[in-house]
Amino acid sequence: MKKLLTTLILVALPFSVQAKKGEIKLDVKTHTFSNGLELLVVERHLSPTFSAMVRFKVGSTDEKPGITGSAHLLEHMLFKGTKNIGTTNYDAEVPLMGKIDKLALELTEAIMETKNPTYRGGTERVDSLRASIAEIQEEQKQYVVKDEIWETYLRNGGAGLNASTGNDGTQYYVSLPSNRLELWAYLESDRLSNPILREFYSERDVVYEERRLRTDNSPRGKLYEQYNAAAFTAHPYGWPVVGWASDLETVLREDVGEFFHQYYSPNNIVIAIVGDVKFNDVVKLMDRYFGKIPPSKKTVPPVTTIEPEQKGERRVAVEYDAEPRLVIGYHMPAGGDIDFEVFDVMSSILTRGRTSRLYKSLVEERQMVTSIGAWGSFTRYPDVYTISATPKAPFKVEEVEQAIYEELADFQREGPTEWELQRVRNQLDADYVRGLRSNMGLARRLTDMQAKVGDWSFLLTLKERREAVTANDITRVMAEYLVPNNRTVAYLVKPESEEPEGQTMKFQRVHKQAVAK
Amino acid sequence: MRKIILFTIMISLVFGITLLDAQEKQSTGSRVIANLEYPEIKWDVPEVGKEVTRAALDNGLILYFMENHELPLISAHALIKTGSIYDPKEMMAVAGITGNVMRTGGTKSYSPDSLNAILEFVAGSVESGIGSESGSASMSVMAKDLDSGLNILYEVLRYPTFDTAKIELEKSQIKESIRRRDDRPGSIVSREFSHLIYGDHPYGRILEWEYVKDIGRDDLVAYHGKYYHPNNIMIAFTGDFNTKKLGKKIKKIFGSWPIGKLAIPPEPAVEYGFNPGVYVIDKDLTQANIRVGHLGIKRDNPDKYAVSLMNFILGGGSFTSRLTTRVRSDEGLAYSVRSAFSTGSRDYGMFYAYSQTKTASAYRVLEIFNEEFKRIREEIPSQAEFETARDAYVNNFIFQFDSPGKIVNRLMNLEFDDYPPNYYNKYLDNVRSVTIEDIKTVAEKYLKPESMTIMVLADTSKIEADLSDFGKVTNLELKEPKVD
Repeated sequence: MKKLLTTLILVALPFSVQAKKGEIKLDVKTHTFSNGLELLVVERHLSPTFSAMVRFKVGSTDEKPGITGSAHLLEHMLFKGTKNIGTTNYDAEVPLMGKIDKLALELTEAIMETKNPTYRGGTERVDSLRASIAEIQEEQKQYVVKDEIWETYLRNGGAGLNASTGNDGTQYYVSLPSNRLELWAYLESDRLSNPILREFYSERDVVYEERRLRTDNSPRGKLYEQYNAAAFTAHPYGWPVVGWASDLETVLREDVGEFFHQYYSPNNIVIAIVGDVKFNDVVKLMDRYFGKIPPSKKTVPPVTTIEPEQKGERRVAVEYDAEPRLVIGYHMPAGGDIDFEVFDVMSSILTRGRTSRLYKSLVEERQMVTSIGAWGSFTRYPDVYTISATPKAPFKVEEVEQAIYEELADFQREGPTEWELQRVRNQLDADYVRGLRSNMGLARRLTDMQAKVGDWSFLLTLKERREAVTANDITRVMAEYLVPNNRTVAYLVKPESEEPEGQTMKFQRVHKQAVAK
Repeated sequence: MRKIILFTIMISLVFGITLLDAQEKQSTGSRVIANLEYPEIKWDVPEVGKEVTRAALDNGLILYFMENHELPLISAHALIKTGSIYDPKEMMAVAGITGNVMRTGGTKSYSPDSLNAILEFVAGSVESGIGSESGSASMSVMAKDLDSGLNILYEVLRYPTFDTAKIELEKSQIKESIRRRDDRPGSIVSREFSHLIYGDHPYGRILEWEYVKDIGRDDLVAYHGKYYHPNNIMIAFTGDFNTKKLGKKIKKIFGSWPIGKLAIPPEPAVEYGFNPGVYVIDKDLTQANIRVGHLGIKRDNPDKYAVSLMNFILGGGSFTSRLTTRVRSDEGLAYSVRSAFSTGSRDYGMFYAYSQTKTASAYRVLEIFNEEFKRIREEIPSQAEFETARDAYVNNFIFQFDSPGKIVNRLMNLEFDDYPPNYYNKYLDNVRSVTIEDIKTVAEKYLKPESMTIMVLADTSKIEADLSDFGKVTNLELKEPKVD
């Protein structure tokens, strides 16, 4: 058996190692369907399973004020079934959902009315509308087959089943036994062709609870939400992926439906299948299931808002009953920019591993923090470069902030050593190799790059681009970007502690929680 | 019946659905799905002697190997029979500190800084740690760096020098984590709940600074000397190597390590008992954090398979489970709802269910929990629920072995944890032999609605309903941790 396995692997090795340079070539097969859907396949027969990643080139960045959280809400809704899945009688559901939509619109109006400063009444109308919606929801339940997509996947052995939404993209993923490829194609193409945002309003409540869990009642979540909101005054990266609380209270099924029609068309999708499949089979099968889905007539609009140049430091404090934390951010270029890899290399020199600059100085030597990290993400639009630290008593958050600036200044003055540069290059090269180990990890990286820069093979150029980064590049980028007037600083503070100087104004930015219904 | 043919499984699934036509809700899509055909997959449960090689050195060191030449990487994972479980409460921190400082504190031939520099320069890693019931060490290197990786792994296991500065660093990191232990609602509930269930048994005790502050180098040296002998260690290797050649290298490096005398103390047993009641912790939050449960089963319990399926139906099967359907999908009360019978430890695991909901709904969530605990004890589940649970376990099984790393580590773990060597070969038969009646039987036997320990962390002033409907209410206070 062992012999057989080994032979199989050798025959169909998806990666070929070029002995001379130690480089690893990736055998990615691609196909673009006539409706614009892009497919990436890596055949890999290590285990009779495959991983599938469906990536939509749309995220919270594509939302508009008032409907923040829609991209993520839509992701939840796509598990709620279609005209074919999740229902015993779709036709009977339609009028009920129509009634709910009408009441929900009234509810939004009623909620807005209670928020009017001149309003003196109670919440009777809001309460009664909520009760009426609940009643029809109950009636609809007789036709609903609960979470049938999820159940079907689980029953067929689905592993790692989930979906996620970010600023730049939305992805749906699952790993299955290799003989379930057609099942996957059916379920995914069906939810792309026939989505019904059923049970929308109870799911909106679920997402509101998700927000409470991850943001409102999480020290880290609360801090990062306010940090982003302060760093971006115009660009959508400033609002949270989960959405503002008040938007989650009022966003309508219709809003999210429009969002679907605008962005979920085949020409806005990248799919990767990695595992025990044959490329030709996948293309044939997918042509049958996805090929008929018409592309959207409208092109997907780009985000045209550009964050204006920052003209002065911004500081924000967030009160939460927890020990202090600190985040420092600087606007940086988007992924693909000529300077992006400089940030990548710099992050590793600063905080990756026990030999890194900030770890050595602040964790080991000065013992001012328990942990410190720095990173810049590969994003569609310019994001912030973030340095995050957890102070260690008795050091105060202000002292830690100053110490970080001192260390950065020293580093900028000295520049990186050749050893540091080479250490980082070796690590980033090894990351690439390790990233190929899992089918799902590879599928994620391929779709991510294809979606962001239009070409998965950009991944292969990163090594070269990083090798070109010099010590001078790093000091130049530090001088250009890591400057006070490009900086946003956020503190997590205990409610009883004194406000650090200069933060009074920023306190008004702290988002008051919407009261639960 | 070692050969697993997923096709047969599918036949039974299709058959099941057809039978159910009359009694279960059906969508048009499910009929399409029922007509899909799944080509046969032939797959063998990996075994020692086939895909995986097992060997032992004369000094008792046990080795597992699985080659995989796809990528130029090699990793190793070591397990050591040790753990804080063997130590009294006052000494509970020694194990963890020893495990970490074995790596951070340097070795005979390498100072802490040189260890870091050597490994990080070649993008490799060697790490070490000790948990409650085992110690572990790992190595991950590019294949070309195997020799230096192996050497470092060996030195970390055999010759740690426990640099005192690194011991103090480790202690001060722990001190800060104790100071911060109430920062996140989830960690408060998980810690305090375990303490209510297990009391001062190692599974439930809470780390305090007073148990850490006086620990010194001698404690760590003694701890290491007690457990780190080759005859108490297993290592699994996977990656781009030749098993014979690697075996020789290991023998050369580890072979001189003499057998040690092992005097592993007895493990304290979990006292089987219950602690019913409602325990409330007050904190200024907008969401109530709820956790309920009691002692569950041991992992060698023959009912384990039936319990797993029962829990899948109750609250373990994410969206297909009853708790999620009712709390999340039907009523929109929570994002996260789940129940589990944990069997990760050697003694009694816990049954627990948890959720987080807006403060005003805490009562309602507890009510639904209670109703569902009772229902699964009183009624046999529907055929569809039962088959979904069973098929999910059967069809997902292959993913426990979908990478060489998982395969070799799972097989080594069997030996480490004293499972029978044919555990995985029998696994599917064990799952398939569970009957629909068993679900009710094990629910009655192992789920005890009357004995639930109920914990609610919330802004208690906003819970209007009377939680004493669920049991006697006790207010627990979160004390400022003492860290001076």
